[in-house]
Amino acid sequence: MRYLKLLILFARTSLLAELEYRANFAAQLLVSITFVATTLLTTFVLFGHTDNIGGWRYDEALLVSGTFVLMSGIIMTVFQPNVQRTIEMVRDGTLDFTLLKPVNSQFMVSVRHIKTSGFGEIIAGLVVIGVAMVKLRYEPDVVSGFAILAMFTIAVMIVYSIWIAMATMSFWFVKVGNLTELFNALFDTGRLPVTAFKGAIRAGLTFVIPVAFITTFPAQAVLRTLEPGTLLIGSVFAAALIWGSSLFWRTAIRSYASASS
Amino acid sequence: MIKKYAALIRANWALTSEYRAEIVLWMMGGLWVVVMMLVWIGVADGRSINGYAAADYVSYYMVTLFVRNMTAVWSSYELDYQIRQGQLSPKLLRPIHPLHWEISFNLSEKVLRAIIVIPIVVVVLAVLSHAPLDMRPLAVVAFLISLMLAWLITFFSDYAIGILAFWTSQSTAFVQVFDGIRSVLSGVLAPIAMFPDALQAVLAWLPFRYMISFSVEILTGKLRPEQIVQGFAIQSAWALVMVLLVKVMWRRAMKSYSAVGT
Repeated sequence: MRYLKLLILFARTSLLAELEYRANFAAQLLVSITFVATTLLTTFVLFGHTDNIGGWRYDEALLVSGTFVLMSGIIMTVFQPNVQRTIEMVRDGTLDFTLLKPVNSQFMVSVRHIKTSGFGEIIAGLVVIGVAMVKLRYEPDVVSGFAILAMFTIAVMIVYSIWIAMATMSFWFVKVGNLTELFNALFDTGRLPVTAFKGAIRAGLTFVIPVAFITTFPAQAVLRTLEPGTLLIGSVFAAALIWGSSLFWRTAIRSYASASS
Repeated sequence: MIKKYAALIRANWALTSEYRAEIVLWMMGGLWVVVMMLVWIGVADGRSINGYAAADYVSYYMVTLFVRNMTAVWSSYELDYQIRQGQLSPKLLRPIHPLHWEISFNLSEKVLRAIIVIPIVVVVLAVLSHAPLDMRPLAVVAFLISLMLAWLITFFSDYAIGILAFWTSQSTAFVQVFDGIRSVLSGVLAPIAMFPDALQAVLAWLPFRYMISFSVEILTGKLRPEQIVQGFAIQSAWALVMVLLVKVMWRRAMKSYSAVGT
């Protein structure tokens, strides 16, 4: 309960701070629009020459694009700004102030800052998913509703674990910012259903860098083609990653010797 | 001038080697090129789409990987940072235009990228020896000239957007928008021949195609001689426009610039 109150407080203060910079908001919106347009154009141009990619038809692939845009939006809104701030704090020693606060340090570095820069993408992602659902004549029912909710939660949990693990690495490596670049390059493959790739690449995108769990499988939940087994593996996988990344964070904190002067 | 550049490139080579780990990571962005290659081969599925079969996609995207690395730019970010931090002022006091520093930094970084990317491209193309390439001397020379012009367009358009930082704190947002559009329309997302005809006709006149795909199509033998001549005319025109744009914008910026800094 206390954490929920804190969360709302954090969101409010950072949004108020963000609203001070209206030009920044407008510029970020422009970036979001370009991003969404290029993502949709990718799907559009590809489907100009085929009626299915890896067994996915256009409307179905649109669900994947929408999920990709939505997830990017969530990353831009919460994960990316906080991780970047954490990396900076580790480097200049101001993380001490966070550690001194009487709240869980991982919670604090994960949600302290919220940026408006991903709002455009979150909205656009939801719209694209909605349009695809209408085109596919999706009719809600309890089972698929549960699967969708579960799979999207799993996706967010996995993305969060990866980002917090990247932030944690900054305790040992100075230039972790570049690691996030690498993540983005790989995450880009999530624009398309994972079945567009074959063999080792598909396996890698499912389990090594689990992009499939982040965009393809949530879209499958909407299509009702998700195997119950995938959902089960996904939950275990996500829980393991959350546990592992949290253990990683605590280990790092224990060996942290402030960089402040 | 050549002597100055030799000295600048030598100095910047030290800087480049300092950043070698980062540069390798930035090059990972090239993964996107390989991904699109695989996706298109999958879409073609043994067929040929508008003249592109699997082997054509391999040669197209491998040459694209090379061209993209040889035209990588980041000066706009640098300029934005320097202006905001007040680090530009001491550079302006030097007897050499900051632009030359950026150009030599960029070129020395290209040496490192070439060392890494050329073996990759050569090995892939050698293993898949049926991937078509036009290796006649004239085609290779035309390719290299177009590559230089592509670099000019890319570098100077990026620098022009970077100069906006003199007036706005949001210049990097414009860079991101421009990069987003460029990644799609320059031919990385798809060879230009994959786009609808109407869009192809428009793209022939916009600068984006001349930043990557025009050079690639020369070396992969996709263009007829008259198309190459026409392409060179448009490409040179855009290169000239971008250089002049930077010149004009820089002069205006200098008139209104008042430094912030220590």
